[in-house]
Amino acid sequence: MATEQTLRSFGCEQNLLSRPDGSANFTQGDTTVLAAVYGPGEVKMSEEIIDKATLRVIFKPKVGLPGCAEKFQERVLRNTCESVVLATLHPRSAINIILQIIQDSGSLLSCCVNAACVALMDAAVPMKCLVSAVTCALTEEGQIVLDPDSKQEKESSAVLTFAFDSRENNVITCSTKGCYTPEQYQESLSACREASKNISSFFRQAVEKRMSKELKVKT
Amino acid sequence: MAADFKTAQPVEYYRRFLKEDVRPDGRELGEIRHTTLNIGSITTAEGSALVKLGNTTVICGIKAELCNPTAEEPKKGFVVPNVDLPPLCSPRFRPGPPSEQAQVVSQLMADIIQNSGVVALEDLCIVEGKLCWVLYCDMLCLDYDGNVVDTCVISLLAALKNVLLPEVRVSEETGDPVTDMEKKLPLNIRKCPVATTFGVFDDHYLFTDPTNEEECLATGVLTIVTTEDNKICCMHKPGGTPLSESRLQDCINRALTRAEEVRKLIHETINSVER
Amino acid sequence: MADSVGKVVIPGDVLSEFRASEKTSKVALGPGLRQDGEEVLVTKSGILRHKEPNLYWIDCHQRRYIPAKGEDVIGIVTVKSGDVYRVDIGATQPATLSYLAFEGATKRNRPNVKVGDLVFAKLLVANKDMEPELVCIDSGGHSSGYGVIPANGGFMFHTSLNLVRKMLSPNCDILKFLGKNVPFETAVGVNGRIWVKAKTVKDTIVVANAIASSEHMTNAQIRTMIRQLLDKLSGF
Repeated sequence: MATEQTLRSFGCEQNLLSRPDGSANFTQGDTTVLAAVYGPGEVKMSEEIIDKATLRVIFKPKVGLPGCAEKFQERVLRNTCESVVLATLHPRSAINIILQIIQDSGSLLSCCVNAACVALMDAAVPMKCLVSAVTCALTEEGQIVLDPDSKQEKESSAVLTFAFDSRENNVITCSTKGCYTPEQYQESLSACREASKNISSFFRQAVEKRMSKELKVKT
Repeated sequence: MAADFKTAQPVEYYRRFLKEDVRPDGRELGEIRHTTLNIGSITTAEGSALVKLGNTTVICGIKAELCNPTAEEPKKGFVVPNVDLPPLCSPRFRPGPPSEQAQVVSQLMADIIQNSGVVALEDLCIVEGKLCWVLYCDMLCLDYDGNVVDTCVISLLAALKNVLLPEVRVSEETGDPVTDMEKKLPLNIRKCPVATTFGVFDDHYLFTDPTNEEECLATGVLTIVTTEDNKICCMHKPGGTPLSESRLQDCINRALTRAEEVRKLIHETINSVER
Repeated sequence: MADSVGKVVIPGDVLSEFRASEKTSKVALGPGLRQDGEEVLVTKSGILRHKEPNLYWIDCHQRRYIPAKGEDVIGIVTVKSGDVYRVDIGATQPATLSYLAFEGATKRNRPNVKVGDLVFAKLLVANKDMEPELVCIDSGGHSSGYGVIPANGGFMFHTSLNLVRKMLSPNCDILKFLGKNVPFETAVGVNGRIWVKAKTVKDTIVVANAIASSEHMTNAQIRTMIRQLLDKLSGF
């Protein structure tokens, strides 16, 4: 089985909005997601959790109103963020993550996870580790295409999205579409895991870039 | 005494049991609760099934209606799943619009139907571009004791297998559809998806078929849906404890075994019902 | 990792080889660092800093204020309820300020504080599980600079927490250099709020702008920037 081992060019910009506590724009090829984080801030009485922060993800599609499918995405994204954020450090508060889709041309879920992660980091919300997500598509012939665009997604027999933690590279989140064999699953998983390391090291570069001025000042 | 301990220290209570490789309800870690299936319990529906997985109870009714296919896909009918979690089934649900949990499970059901191809939408077409079937699959939870996803999938599959659709012809004179109630045909079920849910406790213990209590304490949940040709058609792990490759493979193997058992159960039940 | 001091670290990084204090053989972990079992983990992205003998922390660009005991903040009085005022300090919850926590205040003699007033106060209680509590007196009962900020002609603005910390550090020139050229009064709250007042409104705005734009500048750049501003001010 051959693998197309390259991700599309990706990039991000941090701290581009003035009002939120943290914001980021993450781009993978043409797919772009804008994420904003507010928090830890005041929480609604009904949503207050006594021993940890309440995490909320608001997923804004490009057009139309959010429906059932968006609620499902929100839940996946919320649980993903919950497993890396140290929510117990800010009890009885709320952390809101807003994800606005700017453009969807494939691999949307992984782009959302990456954008949310950079925005959380930008807001300096305490985290256990980072999370990096990669999508791959399986073609009819069984070839793995990493970071597919919408055309490749449409032509594929299955699309798999994985989110990995940056410490041990284990699977935090997995969401799939279409049918595939367990062998194909394992192969896609290891291909995505390798690719996720690129994204993790990119996160570090992004922070270095953001902090570059301070790094220069003190040395 | 044990009850007090459980209320005060639920996590510690579970830890004590799990150290001995047993769960508080007496099951082993990989053991699944007893599954009971009743087919055709709703006579007014085209197909129905009642499933009990331990205490968790879900009833699924399928109602078929005639409608017009969309202009984009003139050869395809529709399958519309909906999961209802009423206040009746658990105190955690309030009356009013569908809860987030209900919406999430409904969406997961829609994804499973689409990914597995359990019913080919082309089979639901009667006259291309003019007339097709729409199957409303309503799953109602009667008792919520964890693992509703697995229960819903079993009830959905059994109910779909139970569906009988009358033959429809389009009258040449008037152009109206005419149904022939005497001649009923079963639906062509192409795949048999079965879901298996795992809970992760304390980032370490992996248990199958979690109860409501276990789901609340779990640090992660994983659902795997497999079909009879040993393919995976949905792998849903929304966050939680990170899992390694080998543990995921272990889960996949267990899911494949479990799916075999469930398919056998559905097959036996259907054969035992006289039609 | 003594060698990663001054370098960028991201959440999940494991640090080791800390230099402990010689007397107590202990290491103090500041904001952004967390101990988990035997390991020390990073929880925020930023630059690892070290101060002799044994203090380590992460310098990051945080905008949200997390209250810490003993810090000086500027708050806005939002509600008067019973014998406390509720004060917004930009944290997750409003802080409380007792009416007795002012210089010379007694049960009879209440301080003159109105809703909407700015107060410069010190955090007496700051704990993640409790409401933050403010006081406007020191331990001797004197105001020592704390109290209600008079509402005649000053200006309060928000900046990043990072800038405030930079301004307050002894080797930063903003306030020193600015003060030599334009006389002004200021109160700096570590919650990212700065209040300034100069002789005229024009001067006040110049001072506020100079402070707000100095975030990413070195001392030399700050001096040039302030000189340019002053030249503009005097009409060159």
